[in-house]
Amino acid sequence: MEFEILARCHTTNARVCHMKLPHGVTMLPTFIPVATQAAIKGLSAQQVEALGVSLILNSTYHLNLRPGTEILKEAGGAHRFQGWRHNLITDGGGFSLVSLNKSARVTEEGVLFASPSTGEPIMLTPEESMAIQHAIGSDIMTQLDDVVHTLSVGPRVSEAMWRTVRWLDRCIEHHQKSEKRESQSLFAIVHGGVDPHLRDQCLDEMIKRKDRVAGYAIGGLSSGEKGRTLIKQCADKLPADRPRYCTGVGFPEDLLVCVALGIDMADCVFPTRTARFGVALTFHGPLNIRLKKHAKDFCPIDESCPCPTCASGTSRAMLHHIVTVETAGAHALTQHNIVFQARLMGGARGAIMNGIFPTYLKKFFAEYYGQAGYPEWCVNALNSVGVDLLEGKPDAKVVPGDGAQWEYSDTA
Amino acid sequence: MVETSFQAELPPSLTFSPIALADLPTFGPRLGQIALHRQDGSAHLEISTPNLMTATSHGVIPHLSRDHVNVTKAIRWVHVPFESFLSHTPPIPTLQPGPHPIHRFLGYDPSQHIVSMSARDPFDGRDMPANGKDFISVYCIRGVRKITPNMWNSYTSACNPDVVTALSDTPFTPPPHSQKRITKSIEKSSAWLTDILQAQSQQVLAQGVSEHQCPDISVPNVRNVLVHMAGSVTIQARQAFANSLLEKLDNRDAEQLAPLRTLDDGVAGYVFDLMPLRAALSAKMISTSEILPGLERGAMSVIAPNAQQQHDTPELSDLIQASLKHLPVTKPRLVNSANSPHEMLRLIRDVGIDMIDAHWAQSAADIGVALDFYFPTLNGSPTAIQKCVGPRVRPNGKADLGHNLYDIRYARDHSRLAANYRDALSSQALTGNSSTPASLICPCPTCSPTIGAPAYLHHSTVDHYSFAADSSPAQPSNFQPPFTRSYIHHLLHTHEMSAHSLLVMHNISVLDAFMAGIRTVLEGPTGVEEFHKHVEDFVNCFDEDQVVFDEAKVDWAGVGRARGKGSSSREEIKQALGTAVAL
Repeated sequence: MEFEILARCHTTNARVCHMKLPHGVTMLPTFIPVATQAAIKGLSAQQVEALGVSLILNSTYHLNLRPGTEILKEAGGAHRFQGWRHNLITDGGGFSLVSLNKSARVTEEGVLFASPSTGEPIMLTPEESMAIQHAIGSDIMTQLDDVVHTLSVGPRVSEAMWRTVRWLDRCIEHHQKSEKRESQSLFAIVHGGVDPHLRDQCLDEMIKRKDRVAGYAIGGLSSGEKGRTLIKQCADKLPADRPRYCTGVGFPEDLLVCVALGIDMADCVFPTRTARFGVALTFHGPLNIRLKKHAKDFCPIDESCPCPTCASGTSRAMLHHIVTVETAGAHALTQHNIVFQARLMGGARGAIMNGIFPTYLKKFFAEYYGQAGYPEWCVNALNSVGVDLLEGKPDAKVVPGDGAQWEYSDTA
Repeated sequence: MVETSFQAELPPSLTFSPIALADLPTFGPRLGQIALHRQDGSAHLEISTPNLMTATSHGVIPHLSRDHVNVTKAIRWVHVPFESFLSHTPPIPTLQPGPHPIHRFLGYDPSQHIVSMSARDPFDGRDMPANGKDFISVYCIRGVRKITPNMWNSYTSACNPDVVTALSDTPFTPPPHSQKRITKSIEKSSAWLTDILQAQSQQVLAQGVSEHQCPDISVPNVRNVLVHMAGSVTIQARQAFANSLLEKLDNRDAEQLAPLRTLDDGVAGYVFDLMPLRAALSAKMISTSEILPGLERGAMSVIAPNAQQQHDTPELSDLIQASLKHLPVTKPRLVNSANSPHEMLRLIRDVGIDMIDAHWAQSAADIGVALDFYFPTLNGSPTAIQKCVGPRVRPNGKADLGHNLYDIRYARDHSRLAANYRDALSSQALTGNSSTPASLICPCPTCSPTIGAPAYLHHSTVDHYSFAADSSPAQPSNFQPPFTRSYIHHLLHTHEMSAHSLLVMHNISVLDAFMAGIRTVLEGPTGVEEFHKHVEDFVNCFDEDQVVFDEAKVDWAGVGRARGKGSSSREEIKQALGTAVAL
């Protein structure tokens, strides 16, 4: 991996980076759409790249179950298998295992789980995770981590953190010995729950291994307000010359706050999943296309959006007619939402390059939350990096909690 | 005087030109050209016949996003059943502003797609409440609705499709239908055809005047009216309906429909919906205690093509011929719901059908079947090329029409979908004697994907680092490797929607190549003779029982039912027992 910082925000910790991987350049900060099973839901690889996306995520856990490493190797890796020419990142498998497989049990050796097909016990070790990711051929691999529930406290969090560090060593060792050590880059995952002290210790340990780690993921902080201060703590401490990847973040406001805190990339199923439920993302907030009020609206979701859905003039009325009825409705919203996320992050890159990122943040939040009020945590998080969303807005409303404004169904 | 001259100057904009008109037989295979000249000056479209029409559901081609529709060149004629829009009053597309409202609303490109509209989905054979004196029962997501000839006239006028099928009184109550019912059906269908022609002639009149007054406004397209040939499965009834089209109009109608002398003068083509005919035929059989297998009534088999083992084309051909016998041979003949390429070939051979819907090929994609057949077959056997396994050959010696990609045998098959067609990338590597004729390359975005179409989106000033080299529009040199059987097998078993998108584009394209093959044979100096021979070869070569479809349906239902807990376990057991496909 070649990693270069092109520009830094003069106020916040945001930065624009040039990340060169075997399958091309990905400009950071970026959002990573999720192709769990080797396909962005409903789209082909060519459609995804046409959207201006150069990095997608595959799931190590899922691809290991199906099609399995043998078939992936025969096919020439996951890139060839799914026809994807650009960069690919895989998770370590720990998160999917623990969130999807109730029988998963963690031992020092690895994660023990029952095969969903045969029920037989299977052990996913750090070495095995590396081997699977080598078969996939992802440009960025992630270490196997010991995942605990986001809000856990107590000794289990500390145990998991220290085990994740030990597993990092085993991943590094396995990867260094493999012939793929040059072509694939390994990311560590910082853990430590919501305990700042543990996070600090984890950061120290992982930074020690910097020479053999291409980048850092920050795990377990995808939700909860407390998470955001910890993201800042991690981003502040992580070495500047390594990319920083925040797992499981995808709400637009979250993404921009993370970028301001110094995060370079984030992945989430949110934009593609919410599309299948009939929600279109816009700079003025999400639209629930299933609502009756869209039935006779012949405007596109967003006149200025270059996505294939809006650019071809697909009206809200048409989408209302087919959404959640025809798969083509999901495809249309999926394309739009991926482009929305790409525009959001592209806009951030442009603003950072031009030295106007704080203005970009203010404009986004003003438009996105409009009358509904600013989420308090966003105001606080951005204050911590020197941006005051409320500056010059004495009448602005601030709401506690997540503050996301969702259009709920009327009778749809 | 001005008005009459306007009428004279506005010919139907859909024209059909059969080739070798001089000795065109009433029945028999024929070549032709359908040309659409829109009156508003937008692009002229031409379709060589025989050819295919793409079916839609809720106005969209199932599983295809708009960009995929536009890059699938086999999609030229799109048929839109309108009933799904009747959940709102007035139907939403009728409110669409701008020219070509139905194209615009649904995202079809007037310069690329002919859009036709009928009230009902021709493939929907479900039992329905009876039609009334002046309405038919139609179905939408909120239940059954009624549509009257007046409503239909106003909807079609507002939507302005290129082609409209007149309302037809086809009974969807459980058959058999009494003679009295059939007589009513004929009378009403003919009266409703009169209605729509009258409405059209009034519209033309109005246009003529408004155009005269204000030459700059865009003139709506004159609608081309198709008529569904009524009469059900009674030969005499079908003949009677056809005759009613040819009768000289009585004074009142003649006045309103001038310059038309007969209803047929105002008809742009003849439509045959096979679904209700099959239902009625089957009821007839049952009444003579000969029960036919596989014909399910009362359930709309949208997903699964009816695995119908009886090949009823001869009966259907007789019925269609009864309608066409005295009608002019110079008008296009359209068929909906043909259920195999074999049947398509017979309809073309025995009747001379010009357009056939692709529903069969599209629904094959729903159940995971990748089509792989070609016409004409060479030396009576599938023309497998390159190291790519052809369709399975059954014990009867006939090859499957495609591959059931659910089958475990494709899990490690990393070749392109069809053995009978090359992909563009691999054929580019071949030169000289081994080069592939275009007709043997599958141009679909699944087998011959291209990159950079139409252009990459850039989201910031630094994005050229990511997409610098190939941000130009698609070049032929930008062909990518084909999507493989193993990948689609994987997508099917993981319930990924992309599987169906990729298969739909491929299957429509294979059917398109099949139609092109038919035309090529017919173009030969002894075309008709050759065609008869090749049809026999095809029937001997490819399995009409479509066992592969039955197997796919079982697998499709299996993954659908049990995806999640234990699904792969069952499959592994089946695999271990070697019964992955057997029932």
